[in-house]
Amino acid sequence: MFPVNAFFIGIGATAAIAAVLALIMVIADATIANYGEVTLSVNSGDRAFTVKGGQPLLATLKDQGIFIPSACGGRGSCGLCRVTVESGAGELSPTEAPWINEADRAKSIRLSCQVKVKRDMAIRVPEELFSIREYATEVASLRDLTYDIKEVTLKLKDPAEIALSAGKYVQFVVPAYELTPDPVYRAYSVASIPSRKDTVELEIRLVPNGICTTYVFMHLKVGDPVTINGPYGDFYLRDSDRDIIFVAGGSGMAPIKSILLDLAEKGSARKATYFFGARAVRDLFLVDEMKALEKKLPNFRFVPALSNPLPEDQWRGETGLITEVLDRNFAALDHHEAYLCGITGMIDASIKVLKAKGLPEDLIFYDKFA
Amino acid sequence: MKQTVQLRKIQEKMAPGVITRDGFLGGDTRALVDILTADDAEVLRLGLSHRDIADRMIELRDAGTAGLGEPIGVPPHFEVSVDSVRGKLPCPFGDPGMFQKINTTVRNVRLDRTMVYTDLHIHLIGSHAFYEGKASPFRLEPRDLAEILEIAPAD
Repeated sequence: MFPVNAFFIGIGATAAIAAVLALIMVIADATIANYGEVTLSVNSGDRAFTVKGGQPLLATLKDQGIFIPSACGGRGSCGLCRVTVESGAGELSPTEAPWINEADRAKSIRLSCQVKVKRDMAIRVPEELFSIREYATEVASLRDLTYDIKEVTLKLKDPAEIALSAGKYVQFVVPAYELTPDPVYRAYSVASIPSRKDTVELEIRLVPNGICTTYVFMHLKVGDPVTINGPYGDFYLRDSDRDIIFVAGGSGMAPIKSILLDLAEKGSARKATYFFGARAVRDLFLVDEMKALEKKLPNFRFVPALSNPLPEDQWRGETGLITEVLDRNFAALDHHEAYLCGITGMIDASIKVLKAKGLPEDLIFYDKFA
Repeated sequence: MKQTVQLRKIQEKMAPGVITRDGFLGGDTRALVDILTADDAEVLRLGLSHRDIADRMIELRDAGTAGLGEPIGVPPHFEVSVDSVRGKLPCPFGDPGMFQKINTTVRNVRLDRTMVYTDLHIHLIGSHAFYEGKASPFRLEPRDLAEILEIAPAD
């Protein structure tokens, strides 16, 4: 016969062992995993922080007001949050490995979202990142520029002003909603004039299944709070007397518009031509604004070009791919510089045309959606 | 077929939040080896190879790239646009290099059906015979690919 008492004693013993093991795990979590306070030294001690250990470097820096560009919100899936970790980082994690090549390893580059601050750490970040801040904003207006591009105007609340130069981008924080259980970050160029410090205007193109663009197109309303951080980027107009060629398509309009508004405000006399590619009239936008800028900027010309105008468009402007239009409009480029913004294919093809016309690659500046 | 340790590790990388927010499997709870085996059988039933499918995806992407972001007509009755967004993705199978987020949208005008795929999809299908898990929002059904991209079995 089965000894009933022994059965219950066995159950009791197993439960007791499980309880002890659980207790050990709780104690270990509270003690072994408690890294205490550690020192985070930035740029050879120019800035030093005493922080609570155990958090990812990206989040730790954010808590100290230092924002590292990140498009994925710290999931290790965008590869943007690279910093130089001079000491205190552990081994490269498997999630970092795809993003870090041999040259990066030699320079001690790490993904700040994947490196945890567990001991004293020394890092190096570009100085310009110190001016990046997080801003609480409110949606002031929403405007459909085309069927798939929306203008989002944000009124800054806290801080109430942002200092940026034309051509920069900010990160838009998408809160948790039906497509994402956690906040995610997406980068968008600023379209507004930099002198209007209390406002940030973005032009957002709908991406099928895109987390941010679906949120903006389906959920965002006037008055909604939006968090952004920035400004980021090294796309800006160089100070020279060269003639300017701007090339953009779709939402690549945004930074070019900001640069043009800035030029107009400063009363620039630089010669500039802006080639904007679209498929048909329904894909064109801000044409009236660009035509108004032609009046303010005496040497500015806006050249919209349609690759496939519809009969009802009754289009009498330039036609063809933007590269063909560029090719037709210039013989040789011997006193120019070019600024391009848009998708990879458009930028690569435009660079090819510009170089064939004699424009050196170091005078071609671009903001590639890549 | 038995799932190898290597496939198990790869499947772990396909979980949500490891490489991409949504992962590559959706709610598909099958072992990766079973997902690969089932899709392999489906492609065989269609009289195709994974390479045939990937090559056709590349062909249409390359044709669409000429539109510089705008949709262009590709004979006999396709409309293709190639767009890009910021960011890159690594291959969950651990292949070297990163894949730019380039989206190819193919509309079969005759069928009035559309398919969107990325450069990573092309790589996953051509090199790993992987179409993503059944409930993944980015899964590409082999039959849909064959029909919409009009991939005919070789004679």
